[in-house]
Amino acid sequence: MISFSRSLQVRRLNRLRFFGFIALLTFLLLSVIVVENLLVSTLVAFVISYLLSPIVNNLERRGFDRFWSTLWTFMIAGILIGLIVFLILPNFSTALLTLQKEAPKYINGFSRLIEDLEIRGRRLLGPLFPLELKEYAVDSLTKHSENFFNEVPRFLKQTLTVMILGPFIAFFMIKDGRSLLRQAFNLVPNHIFETALSLQHQINHQIGHFVRARLLEALIVGLVTWIGLVMIRFPFSLLLALFAAITNLIPYIGPLIGMIPAVIIALVNGVSSFDLLLLFGVYAIAQVIDGAFLIPFFVARLVNLHPVTVILVIIAGAQFMGVLGMIISIPVASTLKVTLESIYRHLTESQV
Amino acid sequence: MTSFFWNNLFRKDSKEKSVLETLKQTHIFGNLNKRELNLVLQTIHVRNYTPGETVFSQGELGIGMYVILHGKVDVFARKPGFEEEGAQLVAQLFEGDFFGELSLVENQGRRTATAIAATETALIGFFKPDLTEILERQPQTGSKIVLRLAEVLGRRLKETSLRLTELKEENSKNMTRGPL
Repeated sequence: MISFSRSLQVRRLNRLRFFGFIALLTFLLLSVIVVENLLVSTLVAFVISYLLSPIVNNLERRGFDRFWSTLWTFMIAGILIGLIVFLILPNFSTALLTLQKEAPKYINGFSRLIEDLEIRGRRLLGPLFPLELKEYAVDSLTKHSENFFNEVPRFLKQTLTVMILGPFIAFFMIKDGRSLLRQAFNLVPNHIFETALSLQHQINHQIGHFVRARLLEALIVGLVTWIGLVMIRFPFSLLLALFAAITNLIPYIGPLIGMIPAVIIALVNGVSSFDLLLLFGVYAIAQVIDGAFLIPFFVARLVNLHPVTVILVIIAGAQFMGVLGMIISIPVASTLKVTLESIYRHLTESQV
Repeated sequence: MTSFFWNNLFRKDSKEKSVLETLKQTHIFGNLNKRELNLVLQTIHVRNYTPGETVFSQGELGIGMYVILHGKVDVFARKPGFEEEGAQLVAQLFEGDFFGELSLVENQGRRTATAIAATETALIGFFKPDLTEILERQPQTGSKIVLRLAEVLGRRLKETSLRLTELKEENSKNMTRGPL
């Protein structure tokens, strides 16, 4: 039989390993949060590695070395992105400059719309509920648009840092990620090793599928919106499609947010009811394609969160990290769900 | 007297060689070439256990198999329906032996026995995520492992069937003899 001192020694060793592992995780998490741009760069690196690792695996399957498979994939992806940027950038910057020039026109137009709404509201509600919508809306819109254009240089600098750091981290994540993870797993105590390994595999699998599915979904929604807006000859089609694609990453409320700028532009320009209907049609088609084909086949099966949970999680994400929080809240919540489910199963179902 | 300098230089190599040698001698990895074995070497986990430390317990969810690199492992099992009687030693496993391979193919499979390190033991852990990774990265290597795994499981099934037939025959003989 095993002596008491031996079992004590095993427990002490396991405790030491466990605290070592937790300390390593905490250190990594704190570094990512504290160091400027590292959190966003790491998130971008995760997204890149989830997108490119199937291609690297495919090349490796064809007999290429892991290093060369990773290098070739990054080089080809870099060339493709460069080409797309080269083709789109002139169009994009022209649209951005035009928008900057026409910003006062849209702000004034928007204030007129709000004023109109305020008058109608006063007529409906009477003097009991005084509405001060115009002042508030114009102030905040002017402030935000000024901030936006003033923040562009800082935003570009940050983006440039992330665009360099993100792929750099992603390259090593794909090439050496598995061996680094294996080394980190050496710190996991023996009695929870299998559970931890299984958990890591499940989370990795689920998040990988989720990221790929959501990005594919956003890309298709963006493309459909762009084609539709070009077809109805709507201004700023590229910018609006890009905005719709990004906001589509936020479940439920994202598509509505994505439509707002187009509706404001249409109302300020005083388009006809038919054109407004066409505009709604474009966004509706994109959402029908998304809801009827993309979500059921690619996304819904991946994260089984209740709609109420989804909304609560998005609100919490927005509170902590704004738009980025809204986008990453769902994968974070699903990771937590998988982790808690596995720990619960490990604690309750083991018939020891 | 051995040289400290040379000892240190070769320590890591000899350890790695030992893992590679053990893998090569394990039936499941026995037909892999050097390149394929190197891939397996990149995915496996070497775990160290102190005497008396549990590798896994009966009834726990299992996700993979272990090969004994150094040391000794005792396998205990409780008979179904006789849980209160305590576990009985059913096998003693030594260097090069492997166990728990059923978990590699089972979905949510549970361990059918408890494995405890009897001495200072080093085990090579090979788990379902590792097998999936090999199947994804090099399907040819993965299929070789899966075929050998199927062979091992088939052999175990055959042995179990034979033992069951023997027990049935024994039982029917006892029945025909009638009570004494």
